[in-house]
Amino acid sequence: MTAALELGSGESGDNLLARVRTVLGRRTEGRAVALLAVVAVVTAFLEPVVFTSYPVTLGRIALIGLVALGLTAVILMGELDLSVASTLAVSGVVMASIESLPLGIVAALLVGLMIGAANAFFVVAVGINSFIATLGMLFFLRGSAFVLSNEEPVRLANRDAGIAFGKPFLGPLTPRMLLFIGAFIALQVFVTRVRVGREFYAVGGNREAAYDAGIPVTRRIVTGFMISGFVAAMAGVINTLERTAADPTAGSTVLLASFAAAIVGGVLLTGGRGSIFGTLLGATSLGILQVALTLSGVQVDVQNIVIGLVLLLAVITDPNSVRGVVGSVRSLLQGRSRA
Amino acid sequence: MRDDDHDHPVGDGADPNGEPIIEARNITKSFGGAVAVDGVGLAVGAGEIHGLVGENGAGKSTLMRVLAGIVTPDHGVVSIDGVDLDAGNTRAALDAGIALVHQELSLVPEMTVAENILLGSTPTTSGFIKVSEQRRIAAEALNEIGVSVDLDEPIVRLSVALRQFVEIARAVARKPRVLILDEPTATLTPAETDYLLDMLQRLADRGLAIIYISHRIPEIFRICHRVTVLRDGKLVDNIAIADTTPDAVVDQMVGRELKIEEGQRREALPGSVVLSAEGIEAHRVNGIDLQVRAGEIVGLGGLVGAGRTELVRSIIGADIRSAGDVTITTDKGEARVRTYRSAVNNGLAYVPEERRTDGLALTMSVSDNVALPNRSELSRAGILSRSKIARRAQELAEVVGLRPPQVQREAGEYSGGNQQKIVLAKWLGRKPAVIVLDEPTRGVDVGAKAEIHRLIKELADNGTAVLVVSSDLPELLELSDLIHVVRDGRIAGTLDGSVADEKSVMSLASGEATVSGNGDPDDLVGSAQ
Ligand SMILES: Nc1ncnc2c1ncn2[C@@H]1O[C@H](COP(=O)(O)OP(=O)(O)OP(=O)(O)O)[C@@H](O)[C@H]1O
Ligand SMILES: [Mg+2]
Repeated sequence: MTAALELGSGESGDNLLARVRTVLGRRTEGRAVALLAVVAVVTAFLEPVVFTSYPVTLGRIALIGLVALGLTAVILMGELDLSVASTLAVSGVVMASIESLPLGIVAALLVGLMIGAANAFFVVAVGINSFIATLGMLFFLRGSAFVLSNEEPVRLANRDAGIAFGKPFLGPLTPRMLLFIGAFIALQVFVTRVRVGREFYAVGGNREAAYDAGIPVTRRIVTGFMISGFVAAMAGVINTLERTAADPTAGSTVLLASFAAAIVGGVLLTGGRGSIFGTLLGATSLGILQVALTLSGVQVDVQNIVIGLVLLLAVITDPNSVRGVVGSVRSLLQGRSRA
Repeated sequence: MRDDDHDHPVGDGADPNGEPIIEARNITKSFGGAVAVDGVGLAVGAGEIHGLVGENGAGKSTLMRVLAGIVTPDHGVVSIDGVDLDAGNTRAALDAGIALVHQELSLVPEMTVAENILLGSTPTTSGFIKVSEQRRIAAEALNEIGVSVDLDEPIVRLSVALRQFVEIARAVARKPRVLILDEPTATLTPAETDYLLDMLQRLADRGLAIIYISHRIPEIFRICHRVTVLRDGKLVDNIAIADTTPDAVVDQMVGRELKIEEGQRREALPGSVVLSAEGIEAHRVNGIDLQVRAGEIVGLGGLVGAGRTELVRSIIGADIRSAGDVTITTDKGEARVRTYRSAVNNGLAYVPEERRTDGLALTMSVSDNVALPNRSELSRAGILSRSKIARRAQELAEVVGLRPPQVQREAGEYSGGNQQKIVLAKWLGRKPAVIVLDEPTRGVDVGAKAEIHRLIKELADNGTAVLVVSSDLPELLELSDLIHVVRDGRIAGTLDGSVADEKSVMSLASGEATVSGNGDPDDLVGSAQ
C-alpha cells in the first residue's frame, strides 16, 4: 500500500521558494525574456528613438506579432506554415482590388481562411509534409499577388478610411494595436482555456496518444491552419489600411521575423510545447530589434542576417538541444586533446 | 487465409457465469500479409479479471487495440452488452466504456497531470474547459487508485513509475466498464506491483470487467479468474485459473515443453577491474564508487526512481556528471572516459531503459539498427556491406529469438518485447569489454527472458564486465555476482550475489535496513570497496 503512495515527483517542495521555483521551472518563456531584456537595454542606449517614436515600433511589433501568433497555433501541433507572409500580401491585394471597403475586408479574410483550408487539405488529406506543402503555397501566393496586382502597388479606393485607421483611437493605441491585442487575448484564451485549442498541445506533443484518446486530430490540424491563414490575412488587411495601398511585395521581411518570434518565445519546432505569451515576448523583442536596425540605417539584407542569427541562437539554446550541443562540443574538445 | 466461420478448438470464450459485458468474436487482423490476430474470440463478464498471455508478437496488444477501436480488424466484431460497436472507432469504444492502458506510455509530455488524465474527455461549458471540474475528476481518479501527485506537474517531470500510475488514473477517470491493461507492471517495482494488483482486485469487486496482460505468470495466477493464451495470433486456450497450472500455461504459450532452469547461477571467476567509477556525482546521484571486473556481473538493485538509471547514464557519459572519474581498462590500456562516445570507443555497450526513444531507430529496418554500432566491422573500405549486414543481423536475430526473424522489416513494426530484443542484438554483436544493461528483459516473454539471461551469463563467462540495472528481483538475484542496492542516489548496501535473497535486497532498497543494521548479518558484506 505505502510504496505506491511514496512516489513523489521529487522536484516540488513545500516552502514558498520551492513552489516559485517549481512554477518557474514549468515556464517556457525564459529565453524570450532574456532576449527582450538585452534588446531593450541595448536599444535604449544606442537608439532611444525606438522608444520615443513608439507608434512606429508598436506597429512593427503588431505586424510581426499577428503573423507569429497564427504561426504559433500551427507549430504547436508540430506542423509548419511557411505561407503566412504571402497570405498577407495576397489578401491585401484582394482587398484593395475591391471597390467597397467592407466587402474588400471580408473578401481578404475569406481568402485567408481558404488558404488555411487548402494548406490543411494538402497536409491531412493528401499527406504532404507541411513544410513542402506550405513552401509550395508560399510561391504560389507570392506569384498570385504579383499577377493580381500587375506587379505594382494597388491603391485603396477609400483612402480616408485608411488614414483614419492609422490614428490613435484609445490613448496612444491605434486600431491596429487594438486588433493585435485582441487577437493576442483571443488566442491566449483559446490555447489555455478552450478545449479545442488546448488539444493542439496534445496533437503536437504526442500525436498517437491524441488519436488514442479520441481527439479528432485531423480536425484540429485543419483548425490550426485556418487560424494561421485568417490571422495572416488580418495582418494583410491592417497593413493595407495603414499604407492605403496593397503592395504585392508586402511582408517579405515578416516570415523570418515571425518564425524567429515564435521560436525565441519558446515554441518547440516539433510541437507540443510553447505559449502564446512567449510568442508575444518574442515578437516584441524582434520588433524592437528590426526598428532599431532600420533607424540606424542598416540595410534589409543585413537585418535578415541579424534576425537569422537570432533564430539560430534561439534554436540552439533550446533546453532540448543544449544537452546535445554540450555533449558534442565536449567530445570534440576531447578528441582534439587526445590527438 | 481462413474464412469467417471456423471453429475454435476451445469454444468462443463465453463466460459461464452470467452475461459477458464485452465480447469479441472471431477477430482477425493482418499487417501486410502477416496475420497478427487470427480468428480470436474473447468474452469477459462483470467482476472478472481475465488474463491474456502469449509470447512476444503473439498478438495480445493488437487484439486489445482492436477492442479499443484503435485498430480496425479485417474480420470480426466487438460488442458491449450484446450491442455491436462500430469497428475501428476509438470514440465509440470509449463512449461504450472501454478504457485501454497502453503498453507504451501514451501521455502528452508537456501537458499537466490533470490535463492528461482527462485527455479526450475534457469537461467543457460551451467550449471552455471547466478547470475546477477537470481538477476534481483528476484528483478523484488519483485518489481512487491511491496515488498522490501534483495535478499541475507536466508529465515530463515525473518518474516512469508515476507516469504509469497517471495513465491508469486516466483509464479509471473515464468510469469504464471494461478496463484493459497492457503490461502495466513492466516498469514497476515489486511493491508497486503488489499495490497495483490489489487495486485491480478492488476495481473488479466493484463490477468492472478487467483484461490483464502480463509476461509475469505469477501475477496472472494471483489475480485472474480466467486466462486466455495466444500463440502466433491464434487462440490456444481459454480456461479458468482453477483448472490450470503456471507450467501448463507457459507450455501452451510456447507450444512445446519449456524447461526454464530458474535461478541457476554460474560460477564467476572475476579477473581484473575493467570499469571503475569513483566519486560520481550528478543529477540525483550523490557520490558513488563502483567497480566491475572482467567476467563479473554486478547488479544494481533498488526501487524505481532510486537513481540507478541516472547513475549508469552518468557513469557512461550519456548524462553530464558534476564530479567523479571513470576509467575503462582493456588490453589496449587504461582510458579515462568523459563522454559517451569515448566510452563506446573504449569498448562500452549500453542498452538503455527507454528503448523506443533511446535505443532504436523505429523507421529503420532491423538489420540497419543492428548495424549501427558495428559499422566499422561491417564495412569494406569504408562502405557498408549490405550482404554482411544482413547475414550478421540474421544471426543475431536468431540468437535473441526475434519473432518473426525478418531483419528487413522496420523496427517499429515489431511488438514491444521484440523491440527490446533488437536493442540487445545491436550490442551483443560487438563482444564489448563492458556492457551496461538497464532493465534488459522488461516486457520480454518468459522463453526469451531465459534466453537473454543465458546470453548475459555467456558474455560474462567470455570475460565481459557486466553492469545490470534490474527491478526484477529474481532476475537480479539470478544474474548478479555482486549486488549494489541504490537508494536516494547512494549505495545503501552491497550484497554477495550468492547469498542475497529478495528480502535482504528489498529491506536495503526501502531503507528498513542499513549495512550495519538489522538484516541477517550473513547476507551483508559491507559497502562498496
Ligand atoms: N503497425 C504494425 N505494422 C506491422 N506489423 C505489426 C504492427 N503492429 C503489430 N504488428 C505485428 O503483429 C504481431 C503481433 O504484435 P503485438 O504487438 O500484438 O504482439 P504482443 O503479443 O503484444 O507482443 P509483446 O508481448 O511483445 O508486446 C507482431 O508480429 C508484430 O510485428
Ligand atoms: Mg504487446
